[in-house]
Amino acid sequence: MTEPAAKPYQADILAIDDTPENLQLLSQLLTERHYKVRSVTKGSTALRAAQAAPPDLILLDVNMPQMNGYEVCEQLKADDRTRDIPVIFVSALGETLDKVKAFQVGGVDYVTKPFQVEEVLARIETHLQLRSLQRQLQQQNAQLQQEIRDRKLAEEKFAKAFRSSPNPITLTSLPDCKFIEVNPSFLRLSGYTREEVIGQRAEDLPLGLSPTATAEGAAELSAAGVLHNREVDLRTKSGEIRTLLISVELIDLAGSPCALTVANDITERKRLENEFISLVSHELRTPMNSVIGALDLLATGHLGALTEKGQTLIQIAIANAERLIRLVNDILDLERMKSGQLTLQLQQCSLADLLHQAQAAMQGLAEPAQVQIEVEAVDLEVWVDCDRILQLLTNLLSNAIKFSEPGSRVWLSAAVERGAVDPAASLAPLSPFLHIQVKDQGRGIPTEKLHLIFERFQQVDASDARKKSGTGLGLAICRQIVQQHGGRIWAESELGQGSTFHITLPITNTPSSADD
Amino acid sequence: MTKCILIVDDEEDIRAITKMALEMGTDWTILTASSGSEALEVAAASHPDTILLDMMMPEMDGRATLKRLKADAATQPIPVIMVTAKAQPSSLTEFEDLEVAAVLAKPFRPLKLAGEITAILGWS
Repeated sequence: MTEPAAKPYQADILAIDDTPENLQLLSQLLTERHYKVRSVTKGSTALRAAQAAPPDLILLDVNMPQMNGYEVCEQLKADDRTRDIPVIFVSALGETLDKVKAFQVGGVDYVTKPFQVEEVLARIETHLQLRSLQRQLQQQNAQLQQEIRDRKLAEEKFAKAFRSSPNPITLTSLPDCKFIEVNPSFLRLSGYTREEVIGQRAEDLPLGLSPTATAEGAAELSAAGVLHNREVDLRTKSGEIRTLLISVELIDLAGSPCALTVANDITERKRLENEFISLVSHELRTPMNSVIGALDLLATGHLGALTEKGQTLIQIAIANAERLIRLVNDILDLERMKSGQLTLQLQQCSLADLLHQAQAAMQGLAEPAQVQIEVEAVDLEVWVDCDRILQLLTNLLSNAIKFSEPGSRVWLSAAVERGAVDPAASLAPLSPFLHIQVKDQGRGIPTEKLHLIFERFQQVDASDARKKSGTGLGLAICRQIVQQHGGRIWAESELGQGSTFHITLPITNTPSSADD
Repeated sequence: MTKCILIVDDEEDIRAITKMALEMGTDWTILTASSGSEALEVAAASHPDTILLDMMMPEMDGRATLKRLKADAATQPIPVIMVTAKAQPSSLTEFEDLEVAAVLAKPFRPLKLAGEITAILGWS
């Protein structure tokens, strides 16, 4: 069934004339043209009718007893409810003065009797249209006013949040990284005034942020749209170094890309963390020394023979004590690297030797697991922290072996490459770099976990820590070592087919520090 | 020739276990001291062949004790092996400035200790 067509709008016209014949004539004329007509013969009645239900237009006679047309019009214009209704005077008075008076009291038009029907109708239609347009304009205007009010309110809310946020917030243009706006928290933290900051780049101030890191961050932001929880050191105007945890969002400001950075000052938290770590380091390891020492002595059997079950229990206790010590050592290593307490000891060493040393160190794990380690390395002298790189390689090999089936192989290779190999890197390195790969044929890592595995305690399977006797920190340590050397680490994997860990390191031929 | 070792540690358990472990596989004489000041006295009186010195001790710590040992002509030649729970096996380089024969990270394995001491000091 179709909906009945909407009835066309009938304009409501109020006709006022003390002569009933005139009224009837007008009424008939207008009704024939599909107007809705209300007729009244008295001014006072007309006012009440207009107030009760404001018509779209009023036709008003001038000469009427008691209250004439001018008085009626004046009262209509004095009332909010009826002020905007267009009034057309219809009168036998044809003097200019009469017409002027009609316009003075608020009339929109004046028709002299006797009138031409078509002329009256044309005028009525014109004023109805004008009135309709006026209404539309009023509505649009009201709507615009409301929108402006809403927008102002929203702006005020955000401006207040920006100004009163306890977190330092900055807005910088991209890609030139100049400050467009900063909040008072940022000014308090940095020690600079707003005038000193706006229009400047971080390195101009200087805030101690490396221009390379800033440019890389900007490129990464443009690609990813958001950067979460990056730790940066900021130098205040007085020279103090504050550690900030920042999150950056790429936003569009009037068509230009900008970076919105929200920072969290974690300097104090880091200091407490370091103190805590130092405490844990000593207080956990000292009793562990006694535990493991006592177990070792008991296990020798020199203090009395143990039963087979007793031996098993001692071995369980030793294995777990060792695991606990590994965990404490890994936590400390990671924290000290992150806090910058553990700096690189760069020295020249043979890359091939490093790879073979890592292989030899892991042979003890590989043999019982029946996993074969294959090494392929270029003969190259590199400036690295040899102990750290060895730690990195053994960590990765140890993981690869643990997750490999008996009879499978693990490959450790290193080569010098040029061009892009890292799918996540926004810029291809210009100079040749070292590309190390550790490849296995193990169970693989689900795609959704690939970006998590380098975080602390993020094992693919929650039970891995126990089953594979890992600490959940190995890859986080690896990432830290690689980052300290100015390189990148990432993994590629296919479920059931195996994983490949890639490391790229800049090749430095001089002892200049890689972790500047 | 039998060796004499002085173990300096404020932790009684560590002293007992280390002593027991060193005595187990060797014919060495093991002396112990529970503080830096006691270590200075024992070292001066007994002239041990080496001192296993704990770094973290109350009052006079390992660093201060070492300084005093090296300042006294009588104890200056005694090789000192520093033992510390503050260091990692991976970060012993921090202690390079110390005038010691070696730095051992805690927890150490008591049963391997005699072999390690022998190797460090080149005893045959």
